[in-house]
Amino acid sequence: MSHTLNHSDPNHVAQQYSSTQGIQHEEPLLFEYHHDAPESIQLPGVEGALSADLTRFSRSTPANIPSLSEPETVRHFVRMSQWNHGIETGFYPLGSCTMKYNPRVNEKVANLPGLAHIHPDQPEDSVQGVLKLLYETQGWLGEIVGLPYVTLQPAAGAHGELTGLMMIRACLDARGEHQRRTVLVPDSAHGTNPASAALCGMHTIELKSGADGRIDLDELKAHLNHETAALMMTNPNTAGAFESDVKEICQLVHDAGGLVYGDGANLNALVGVARPGDMGIDCLHINVHKTFSTPHGGGGPGAGPVAVNATLKDYLPVPHIVKDADAYHLKTCSDTSIGSVLGSIGQSGVLIRANAYIAAYGRQNLHKIAEDAVLNANYVLHRLKDAYHVPFDGICKHECLLTDAIQNKHGIKTLDIAKRLIDLGFHPMTIYFPLIVHGAMLIEPTETESRATLDSFCDAMLEIATQCQAGETELLHQAPVKPFRRRLDETQAARKPVLAWPT
Amino acid sequence: MTIPADLKYTKEHEWVRIEGEKATFGVSDHAQEALGDIVFVELPEVGRPLEAGEAYAVVESVKAVSDVFAPVSGVVIEVNGALEDAPELVNSDCYGAGWIAKVQIAEGSVELLSDHKYSTFLEE
Amino acid sequence: MRFLPHTDSDRSAMLDAIGVSGMRELFVDIPAEFHIEKGSLALADALSEAGIVRKFSKAAEKNRNATNSCYFLGGGTYHHFVPAVVDYVISRGEFLTAYTPYQPEIAQGTLQALFEFQTMITRLTGMDVSNASMYEAATATAEAALMARRVSRKTKVVMAGSVNPRYRSVTANYLSRLDGQYVDVDMGCFGTDLDKVIAAIDEHTACVIVQYPDFYGSVYDLAPLRVACDAAKCLMVVAFSDVSAFALIEPPGAMGADITVGSGQSLGIPMAFGGPHLGLFSCKQKYVRQMPGRVCGLTTDADGKRGFVLTLSTREQHIRREKATSNICTNQGLMCTAAATYLALMGDTGLATVAHHSAAALQSLLSQLPAHITTTAGAHYNETILSFSDQSGRDRFLAAAQAKNMFAGIPLEKIDPKADPSHLLVTTTEMIEAEDIKDYITLLEATK
Repeated sequence: MSHTLNHSDPNHVAQQYSSTQGIQHEEPLLFEYHHDAPESIQLPGVEGALSADLTRFSRSTPANIPSLSEPETVRHFVRMSQWNHGIETGFYPLGSCTMKYNPRVNEKVANLPGLAHIHPDQPEDSVQGVLKLLYETQGWLGEIVGLPYVTLQPAAGAHGELTGLMMIRACLDARGEHQRRTVLVPDSAHGTNPASAALCGMHTIELKSGADGRIDLDELKAHLNHETAALMMTNPNTAGAFESDVKEICQLVHDAGGLVYGDGANLNALVGVARPGDMGIDCLHINVHKTFSTPHGGGGPGAGPVAVNATLKDYLPVPHIVKDADAYHLKTCSDTSIGSVLGSIGQSGVLIRANAYIAAYGRQNLHKIAEDAVLNANYVLHRLKDAYHVPFDGICKHECLLTDAIQNKHGIKTLDIAKRLIDLGFHPMTIYFPLIVHGAMLIEPTETESRATLDSFCDAMLEIATQCQAGETELLHQAPVKPFRRRLDETQAARKPVLAWPT
Repeated sequence: MTIPADLKYTKEHEWVRIEGEKATFGVSDHAQEALGDIVFVELPEVGRPLEAGEAYAVVESVKAVSDVFAPVSGVVIEVNGALEDAPELVNSDCYGAGWIAKVQIAEGSVELLSDHKYSTFLEE
Repeated sequence: MRFLPHTDSDRSAMLDAIGVSGMRELFVDIPAEFHIEKGSLALADALSEAGIVRKFSKAAEKNRNATNSCYFLGGGTYHHFVPAVVDYVISRGEFLTAYTPYQPEIAQGTLQALFEFQTMITRLTGMDVSNASMYEAATATAEAALMARRVSRKTKVVMAGSVNPRYRSVTANYLSRLDGQYVDVDMGCFGTDLDKVIAAIDEHTACVIVQYPDFYGSVYDLAPLRVACDAAKCLMVVAFSDVSAFALIEPPGAMGADITVGSGQSLGIPMAFGGPHLGLFSCKQKYVRQMPGRVCGLTTDADGKRGFVLTLSTREQHIRREKATSNICTNQGLMCTAAATYLALMGDTGLATVAHHSAAALQSLLSQLPAHITTTAGAHYNETILSFSDQSGRDRFLAAAQAKNMFAGIPLEKIDPKADPSHLLVTTTEMIEAEDIKDYITLLEATK
């Protein structure tokens, strides 16, 4: 059935969208509802004519925001939600994304009116409850990563990277080392690392990974010099391997006069087991929407608090939460601070969910997160290692890396494997990342998946490998055939971008 | 894979057609195939002086971006405006309708390869 | 631990399958000196679900909130009405617990919501294209300055002093490590003096950033600025903090803006002590390839059915790395779905009511002010400055109001440290009733 829409004929539209696939409903865009606006929503407030001063600026043409009745609105969005896959729907093994179960109690407490409906500029004495939670979160995060000084302000991981690099730059400038403007970034790093360095007015040198996918010490040494500001390292790295030379790496960078930035995207492998601060990392951002289980929301919000050691603590952004004898305060100025990186104290609603999550595990259980996450990844690796090419040997941490090298011989690529997984009921893994191997498939099961789920995912992966061997390539090239939409034409979307529905 | 004999090539997979004091630039068949479906070409401004080896245009596919480098020095005298609406011409006719820019040649050039040498280079 | 499905026998069986003797063997690649003793971290003891609810309820009770107090607070964050349907839609697990829609076949719900969101933001702001969110308004303003530098290939940024001080501070901070001049034009008044802004423009100027309505709530004509920007070939960037204004007044697009940035928190998103909010970013079509952030586009699937994908990805960090238009990756996706739901529920009429009531409440308040309070003339949307004879008079009023469960405004110096501490930024929304205004005036008179 085609969905080229006929604007002039409301019945035609209605007819198209009444069709169903089982109970999976087609649903028009809001702009295609063809009826007069229903009675407007009832709103409180003050009536009265507006002054001529203001009406002189009145909007000349209406915005054309469609108006749906409440039942239509609910049905519209609920139907659309049913075209989505979420962690509550099923397995979501996106490598480097840590798609774990998001506890419902966190939603419940974050939506309490006393936490959701408070203004960031109301007097401090009227928000002591939330300040206490945030102060506690600051302290807990610092303790977990071994870097005691924490800013909650960055809104996401990449924002944390920028904030951390700003602090590093400020520290180096304070030492009079204004020439240190080079950031070393392994070629396996997330793209945000070099992008954040550029935004901080620094330039990037890419370090070629060694044969084992880890940082090559000789390559590192060759690029360390008096212009080095920092090394940005992700540990475990994006191949899922722990950088076992971390102590020596940090020592080399420090000896060369630079600092070490830790990308905390993969902290889930370490939480409660080992601490980046103990290893020599000076500064680390924490993706609370990964490790600390705040929901991803289809792309965000997240939060990217940054934890630092004593070397960098004077440069933390403001505002910063402090505590005196009887109350919590927002400290808004400091001579050495890098200033503000956000218009507010941070993504408070996200951060208090992280607090609830840490509280649920507590001191006694936190290490079980990393243990089960690493166990699950190694279990998947073990089950798939004969059917798929494993580029780097050894145990993995919280995620495992495979490639399509074996399947390539049958004309099957990583993309085909990913799309076939959808037909078999699974969200695909991260594909074509990291860039250091060809046809990467990065699988991060997380700790909240049962053995039964892992087994059925591995069975599906093995079935795909078998289908490749058997030459059933058409099945894979056509995949997916079962979901609400089949492969989408990304070339068409990018060549002639249509980013808004015409009026 | 076509490699016309009347053009010169670079190791960065650009081609150049030199006609007197003018030259036409584009990307080779190998380059367009490696990039996949081209979705956008960022063209240089007319009048911009280019050093040989300088990035003067950007070719984008859905998931990749490539700088395009000038094979010889010169000043841009014309750009292929048709690519703004139809970047796919780089895929369908890279040596013809998919040309990118024309320059008034100045002194300076990167290493230019004949069709034979470029073909050998690709095999290596 | 209730979030972990494995039993100990599952763990043993899996360890056996892997071929290791125990959990410890899975961590041997971490040098022994870095292993910490289990349970040794200085954290609280584990809480049951009931314990968590108790802890957070206690914390929440210590905060005065908008369900039990009256809010005349704004300055970038607003207490507008949030319909129950918005809370419900974004708590659906399919929206809440999905990742960025990298696999579009199984993320059409998020993608269609983003497309609807983008469309409605362009309509509300009068612009051609919108991205799928920035973090919030201050960082969005900084990103607009960076984008204008790319588009214009110039580096000087002129900022009106009547832009929210927090947007100015974050923008100045972002720009301070890059080459180029940043000029913050001091206004010397509670409003926007366009002549002063225009005087700061020269041939090196990449963009001019103004706020409309400005930080002090003033609404003014942007036409002279458009003329000046054309003459200097620089971009006109218009920031805003309460997007509901554009249901009432001419939007920035109609005034000639090249880029608009601001907060979408007013669109069904709770104040939440500073976040998560919603950064809006829209621009003219011709600049779309320099826009930061994700964007959703229309396409078709292999069967020719309509669908949506994230597009123009080559601008972004995961492909262009250090040459990306921004480093942003995780954004405020769920808040786009919230805003789309809110807008669909409201429609033109509902939005116009929100805006009308917000403005009418301020006018009602100003019309009843006692003589010892002064304010500025001219058109205001829903915020303005009240000036007291001195700080103690103002603070006496604020304390008396708070004692009556009313937050009567934000001391100006709290947001703008340079401001004289006798001023109060007062804000109204449709959540303010006539009775609240009466109480406000009574308290002003009582604390004279």
